[in-house]
Amino acid sequence: MPPPDKLPARRDGQTPPANPEQQSLFLAPLPELSTPGELPVYANRACVRQLWLCIHLPSLPLEALKARNEAIEAVFENQQGNRRVLLTSPRVGQLGVTPGMSINAAVALMPTLTLEERNAEKESRALERLAAWAERFTSVVSLEPPDLLLLEIRGSLQLFGDIRDLRQQVESGLLDQGFKPSIAIAPTALASTWLARAGKNASIDDMRNLTGALSPLPLRCLEWPQPVRESLNGMGIYCIGDCLRLPRGGFAKRFGAARLLQLDRALGRLPDPRKGYRAPERFCEECELCEEQDHSERLLTVCRQLLSNLERFLTTRQIEVRHVQFSFFHLRQPATHLALGCVQAGRRTEQWCELLAIRFDRLTLPEPVIAIRLRSGAAQSMQADAGNLFQGKGRQHSTSITHLMERLSARIGDEAVHGITTVAEHRPQYAWCTAEAKGRLPPCAAMPNNWYAQASPLLLTDMRRTSSLLLRRPLWMLPQPLPLATPRGHPEYHGPLKLLDGPERLETGWWDGNGIARDYYVAINSKGVHLWIYQTRNREATWHLHGIFG
Amino acid sequence: MLTTVHDALEKLLQNPRVWRGSQRNAVADTITNTQESPGTAYPTGYIKLDRHLPGGGWPRHALTEILLKDYGTGELKLLMPALARLSNADEVHPAASCGSGEAGWIAWIAPPFQPYPPALLQWGINLAHILIVHSRRGVEALWAAEQALSSGNCAAVLVWSDVLDNKASRRLQLAAEKGRSWAIAFRPLEAAAQSSAAALRIALNAGERGTDIRILKSRGGRPVTVSGVIHDFIHDYAG
Repeated sequence: MPPPDKLPARRDGQTPPANPEQQSLFLAPLPELSTPGELPVYANRACVRQLWLCIHLPSLPLEALKARNEAIEAVFENQQGNRRVLLTSPRVGQLGVTPGMSINAAVALMPTLTLEERNAEKESRALERLAAWAERFTSVVSLEPPDLLLLEIRGSLQLFGDIRDLRQQVESGLLDQGFKPSIAIAPTALASTWLARAGKNASIDDMRNLTGALSPLPLRCLEWPQPVRESLNGMGIYCIGDCLRLPRGGFAKRFGAARLLQLDRALGRLPDPRKGYRAPERFCEECELCEEQDHSERLLTVCRQLLSNLERFLTTRQIEVRHVQFSFFHLRQPATHLALGCVQAGRRTEQWCELLAIRFDRLTLPEPVIAIRLRSGAAQSMQADAGNLFQGKGRQHSTSITHLMERLSARIGDEAVHGITTVAEHRPQYAWCTAEAKGRLPPCAAMPNNWYAQASPLLLTDMRRTSSLLLRRPLWMLPQPLPLATPRGHPEYHGPLKLLDGPERLETGWWDGNGIARDYYVAINSKGVHLWIYQTRNREATWHLHGIFG
Repeated sequence: MLTTVHDALEKLLQNPRVWRGSQRNAVADTITNTQESPGTAYPTGYIKLDRHLPGGGWPRHALTEILLKDYGTGELKLLMPALARLSNADEVHPAASCGSGEAGWIAWIAPPFQPYPPALLQWGINLAHILIVHSRRGVEALWAAEQALSSGNCAAVLVWSDVLDNKASRRLQLAAEKGRSWAIAFRPLEAAAQSSAAALRIALNAGERGTDIRILKSRGGRPVTVSGVIHDFIHDYAG
């Protein structure tokens, strides 16, 4: 018997042994219950409460094709050689063209009908584009081909108000893009899928209402294979509710454990992990034209459409790009590429359109265009503008100089527009570089742009007065030193030269192999032009013109 | 009868080629008030020249033409003090009045040679505000100049173009007014015979003893020859 005063100390030091009964609750095998409907919802306690919004796009085959050509009113599918109408627009449906009809019959009914074959690739691309668009509502978007999108929205409700507001926004956004959705909301992914497929615009938030909402749904929403459905129908089972009343063991044996698992997942008894969709980091979209096109206005309209898609893509991902590339495809010739770049990463459509219009004027297309593709360059994360609280014009001013530079370089060329800066270097031809190249210099060589102005105005005037500190440098520099003729032993440039000042000896450069040995002079010719010339300090002692004192 | 004459006169005065003497008075008024207002001109930095220019300096928000025979006869040296002030000072460029606190940019469009940064620095130019555009020297240079002028970011735009004519000069003049910028066009001496919309046209006559400046046209001023503005190279530095 331990002394009573030791008991509390031992309790603090080590945890008391777990209650064996509590532990067994999780370790025990699933209790064998009589029907699928009565399994306790134990899994739900462990996982986070979820709310799924399912977007079902029943007429995706038609809508995916319509994006390119508004005139298409029906889609057909090739079923073992029989070409049958798969989907029609409501207008055509009223005229008697119904799905399942052979296309000959359809055309006989309506000679002006525009038909096209179903294109699975376009459908999946359209679905992916919508998934990327849907990422604005939640970070968990799951792609369920061929015609479903699942959005986990529990975490987004705070931001978007309530379920109804969010649902409205999703729906109107889809309608704007030309897709007519069927939307359902439920606490589990499968339940929302089935509800959406059934065309029920349900919004179920509470798990307790789920079984009641799912029960009346017909079996076709489950998209089980035809034989399974037929045998269930043969047993007098027509809806999900009927299914749930069946005994679990027998159901699993007859129809497979996977189908039981589906039912369990739909009712939230078992977790249902989904693979999240991640939009690609780069934008690449192609637009096929209905016919060969060489009218620049019409091509620009298509480009504008692509650019506005790009803007949407970038805004959703919170990134921006500095380069985009257009490719114009021709029927017989190789594609024409047009790369656009801007100084400051931009994502506004108008900005790109303006640059495009400038470049497009000068672009010669060898042939009419059949398709246009837009690709974005490497992305960088978006930088938010720090606005000025009192007068917001400061930032605007500095952005518009880059805007000007972009416009100039779009027409004249990237290399032709640049700033300049000095380099700490004694050889005149290396003492400067373009501002863009400055970043590549070693830090010791890069000099602040305005060290001279910052020094002090007094020092500046002083230096200019005394001139001993200032080495005379010409305002104009020749890109390459120009050899001067020496007809009478003296250098000449538009007349004989008179030396005014010098020599200033500049030497060495062994570290990069471009060593020099020159004597620089200031000279004047008969026209009054001041020149900066040098004589090489080798045996030839040739004269060269290097600069002009503007 | 009287009204038709009046109408004709009005029509004539509407012509942008006609500038009225009253405009000059406006200029003169601002000169007297230079202490209060920023004035209508950028001081050239050469007192001798300032004395002959209306407003006491280069005309603001207008086109200045410099006619010269050869590059290297002091055409840049003439501009350097004013450009240095523009590239550094906040208060000169109108953008400053918007509270941006940023100095104006100086664009060089189609320069005949490479502007040399160490020398620009010696003149006190802030290199962070220099923009060089190596375009072709034809219409492209004029297009670039017009863009730069009307963008409203450039305090000064220097342009070298072979195809500058009366029509182009008017466009540059209008762009300079629109963007509140100073346009400087360099032209050959032969262009003196052609008419131009520039507010100021000067010709440089270089000789061995220094460069003389001939004012050919000056809005609000009168033609005159100023000699010895730009000294001999050595004297320039020796003070």
